[in-house]
Amino acid sequence: MSEKRNPTSKNAFPTLKESIGSLLIVLIALSGVIILSFLLSKTPSKTLRYFFLGPLQNAYYFGNMLNGAIPLIFGGLGISLAMRSGNFNLGGEGQIYSGALATTLFALYLAPLGVVGAILALFIGAFVAGGLAGLSGYLRMKWDTSELITSFLISNAVVLVVNYLIAGPFMDPSTSLIATRKIPESFRLPVLLPPSSLSTALFFALVAVIIVHIYLYKTKSGYQLRMTGLNSRFAKYGGINTRKFIVLPMFLSGFLYGLGGGFAIYGTYFSSIKEFSAGMGWNGLAVALIAKNKPSMVIPAALFFSYIEAGARSAMLHSDVTFEIAAIVQSIVFFLISSEVLFTLFEKKRRYS
Amino acid sequence: MQFTIPMLHSAITIMTPLLLASMGGLFTELSGMLNIALEGLLLMGAFCSIIFSYYTASMILGTLLGIVCTMILSAILASVTLNLKANVFITGLAVNLFASGMTVVLSFALFANKGVVVFDNIPPLPLLGTPELAKIPILGDIFIGHSAFVYLSWLLLALCYFVLYRTPFGFRIRATGLHPEALSSLGMRPNRYRFASFLISGFTCGLGGALLTLNLGAFVPNITAGKGWIALVVIFLGNKKPIGLLIAAFIFGLADAFSNYAQGALNIPSDFILAIPYIFTLLAMIGSSIYANKKGAIES
Repeated sequence: MSEKRNPTSKNAFPTLKESIGSLLIVLIALSGVIILSFLLSKTPSKTLRYFFLGPLQNAYYFGNMLNGAIPLIFGGLGISLAMRSGNFNLGGEGQIYSGALATTLFALYLAPLGVVGAILALFIGAFVAGGLAGLSGYLRMKWDTSELITSFLISNAVVLVVNYLIAGPFMDPSTSLIATRKIPESFRLPVLLPPSSLSTALFFALVAVIIVHIYLYKTKSGYQLRMTGLNSRFAKYGGINTRKFIVLPMFLSGFLYGLGGGFAIYGTYFSSIKEFSAGMGWNGLAVALIAKNKPSMVIPAALFFSYIEAGARSAMLHSDVTFEIAAIVQSIVFFLISSEVLFTLFEKKRRYS
Repeated sequence: MQFTIPMLHSAITIMTPLLLASMGGLFTELSGMLNIALEGLLLMGAFCSIIFSYYTASMILGTLLGIVCTMILSAILASVTLNLKANVFITGLAVNLFASGMTVVLSFALFANKGVVVFDNIPPLPLLGTPELAKIPILGDIFIGHSAFVYLSWLLLALCYFVLYRTPFGFRIRATGLHPEALSSLGMRPNRYRFASFLISGFTCGLGGALLTLNLGAFVPNITAGKGWIALVVIFLGNKKPIGLLIAAFIFGLADAFSNYAQGALNIPSDFILAIPYIFTLLAMIGSSIYANKKGAIES
């Protein structure tokens, strides 16, 4: 398998070329929404109004849109770290789900410990998710098994096992939802913008962006990680332990996904509901792709995706299209985001004379 | 073991979409492209063939139109990947996302239903074979009485072997993966052969997908449930050889058929049963990479 790993420039912030390219793709994807609305909806103008303006119309929708960006920021950061090291993590779905379940269960178990228990439960969840991703990294390091396929397969199996655990041994029989018991009140994060469910988890997400940025660009380990991703052979000759940078970035990638799942529980859901995180893992990947694996760009990219999702949800509530229209927009982004041609359209032709 | 023979019979039906998808995937794989879009192409084929069978009231016409739609999608995939120079892995994901979103959006737009859509005017697939043939002990019970898709897939497998190993076109497909520069130095364009192999995978996935829905007479959202990914593993496990595909696909078909029986016979939670193909695939991947690793270590 000789596929080209994701090419990214080494700058911490996007170049003009990259920004224009990303913007162009966002515009193409949004025009896809317009075309689809005209094709599928009986009232296209109403559909479009709810799609584009729905998420901004009041504090409730706006807060929920920002809240939806939180797990995407964590996922986007996780994927960026893996991609920067030349690894693919396709297991976000299973990692975020299992991290969330582990956090919920340990939060219930560690309730008497108060804040210490909350932090402990959060990190246990992140370690579970990190371990799952790290396992794929380990398999690649040991036997050169494609981490891209193993992470996907492990995740698919894990999602089913978590489904079983939520609907079986850990189900709370007192609610009509298929969900675990709710975490104690003292573990829940305060709401920032009532009546929406935007919580202070947003601040933790922003702190995570800063930490990942500093790690990648200001530490020795981050430098080695980026060098391994740019040219593994060169990095090896330079004395970098490249084997380490297969397992570590995969672990960190899953760890961040796990944190995203944990914060979703502490801030929004308060219990692991069956399939509550479905789609978050893929969206995290899409966010990293559109951010060109740069932590600083993960925030606007995550906002873009949560805007699309919120728009699709609002259009579904008020008009005659389904929520899955968001998946089509994402797929347009995926189609074009890695194109080298689109990103060099605006580059001045250099003369070699 | 009175259930072995029906189990082998259903293993053959189950393996056929896998075999078809992996045949097309073999062409892209040999031309040097990791085609993870098999999943999305199968889903597109499954949806479009039953929709068109419903509207044209002909399963043959429906299947053909379904194949055309799938080939159009694979042509888009190929042209974005090859002409816009995009990463084949990410465009493949795009196809998978597109197919899973588009099938639901269309099924809602056409039938106002996001769940299972049952089509009343679609008769069960005719099963082929004469009573005389079916009387052959054991072999007759296993190999006779399948739908035309099953026998067609065997014919296509033979054709696939012939094309890849006995025609200039096949040699060039394989050369594209092994050494594209050699091909361009002879004045041929490797991307043309890659494009052709994407179209072939669109064709076989369209056919494989048609079997999934026509066999059921209904469309279920995400009916492929990872079959495209397993087809990819079938290619690796089958050592990228046509006959290897047959063996690997049969093993997966058998595992699936067994888990169907196990679900009824043993009291195992259905989520665990559904997880079996993924775990099985994972172990197969690890096993084959350990084997490749050992072999590589000896050769070098």
